[in-house]
Amino acid sequence: MNLERLPNEEKLNLCRKYYLGGFALLPFLWLVNVVWFFKEVYFKPSFTEQMQMKTYVQRSALGVLLWAVILTAWITVFQQYRAEWGEVGDYLSFTIPLGIP
Amino acid sequence: MAETEEPGADQAPLIVLETMNASDSEDDCYNERTALVPSENPTVPSYSPDLDNHHESPSRRGVSRRAGPDSASSLDGEQEADEEELTLKYGAKHVIMLFIPVTLCMVVVVATIKSVSFYTEKTDQQLIYTPFTENTSSVGRRLLNSVLNTIIMISVIVVMTIFLVVLYKYRCYKFIHGWLILSSLMLLFWFSFMYLGEVFKTYNVAMDYPTVAVIIWNFGAVGMVCIHWKGPLCLQQAYLILVSALMALVFIKYLPPWSAWVILGAISIYDLVAVLSPKGPLRMLVETAQERNEPIFPALIYSSAMMWTVGMASPDEHRPDTDEEAEAEHRDRGAEPERRPSRGITEDELEEDRGVKLGLGDFIFYSVLVGKAAATGGDWNTTIACFVAILIGLCLTLLLLAIFKKALPALPISIAFGLVFYFSTDFLVQPFMDNLANHQFYI
Repeated sequence: MNLERLPNEEKLNLCRKYYLGGFALLPFLWLVNVVWFFKEVYFKPSFTEQMQMKTYVQRSALGVLLWAVILTAWITVFQQYRAEWGEVGDYLSFTIPLGIP
Repeated sequence: MAETEEPGADQAPLIVLETMNASDSEDDCYNERTALVPSENPTVPSYSPDLDNHHESPSRRGVSRRAGPDSASSLDGEQEADEEELTLKYGAKHVIMLFIPVTLCMVVVVATIKSVSFYTEKTDQQLIYTPFTENTSSVGRRLLNSVLNTIIMISVIVVMTIFLVVLYKYRCYKFIHGWLILSSLMLLFWFSFMYLGEVFKTYNVAMDYPTVAVIIWNFGAVGMVCIHWKGPLCLQQAYLILVSALMALVFIKYLPPWSAWVILGAISIYDLVAVLSPKGPLRMLVETAQERNEPIFPALIYSSAMMWTVGMASPDEHRPDTDEEAEAEHRDRGAEPERRPSRGITEDELEEDRGVKLGLGDFIFYSVLVGKAAATGGDWNTTIACFVAILIGLCLTLLLLAIFKKALPALPISIAFGLVFYFSTDFLVQPFMDNLANHQFYI
């Protein structure tokens, strides 16, 4: 899908759909939204829908950042304290490393 | 349109050269030709259907005509020299555009095979399509079993392909879409979950369920959106490559060794027959789609070009999706004709960049060949030899595509070269090099 040939309303529509879709626990979708529409929103001469698209892109970027923070925090906590949590740690684990640390 | 499509409907990988263009008239050809300047015109044709000049330069520009090869060439004599240069350049560019994804797919498969031992572990579990075991006492029995396995597998594939063609002929589009969505769902979620699990086990990292759930959910959902709906082209191409690699890994793991080689050979022959013979299912598929003037159906086709539709209410069955069906076996190859819904839409102008399309089934079987060479072959010599063989085959196939300008099977030449190189390297070159090294004899 090449953005250049789409009319502006369709671009806005796409941007909005990606933004709304990201709320379904899909930070990756938000990331794709940001990367894909970044040039459109910041480096192109302005067009009518640009303001709206800009808000979507900015909020998606915010969402990505938030998710990144949450995930990093959780992963750090899990990796550090997994062994100490005993049973709960094992229950939460998808893979458990073998061997003696 | 000189369209060589690749209906990968299940199995026949074809190479499709898409040269669709909105204009049908002959006059437009002039415009397109003269407008064949790289920077502006988005419709960069790769091959032209001109038959007259064919003998000199195999790769020609695609003309935006839909008539196919018999459209009269409207090249001016004096422009020919320039155009030949242009066309050759585009020809090479399109070859490179296909080399990169095929190489990437093979790299992913070989990297996984070499690092994650799960995919090379001997397992007695086999797919139901290859019921005969290879743990037999005698060589003859083993050979017989592998041939029987191949026969079963190919018959399954033939039946599935015919079923698909019949569905398509009777316009059961919903069924086909549903089937494709199901199979891509399975690939994107289930197989990637397994893959991720094995990678974590190999590197001995701890991972928790919530994180894995988030990762797989994101990967799968964005994949479905990109492949079946709208998404950035690069991301879609990346997903198709990953999905083909995953499928190839499943094949490498679950197909018994000798059966895998025989199946590779048999599927190339089937591909040849299905695409080129007049009653072949894939050929019928392509022709039906062309009659109806619509994209074959959203399946697995990797497209190297961009598509843009202007003012079109494009249907959702866009992107090629992996044709892997719910079963690992059915493969896919779906290089199905792509998805350019624009073809079916009659509204405004649709322009499409010309590009080359290759079915995902082709990716899968190429990667299976190279993966098996990496898994069971001696060492890197064999792997690299197979890799080079496949690329050479692809090059030749694209050359033929330029000459014939219609859908061509992409498997036979590459697989033939690959098989020859594999067996000769493994059994002749490898021991030769080892011996030389042992005796410290440098040539």
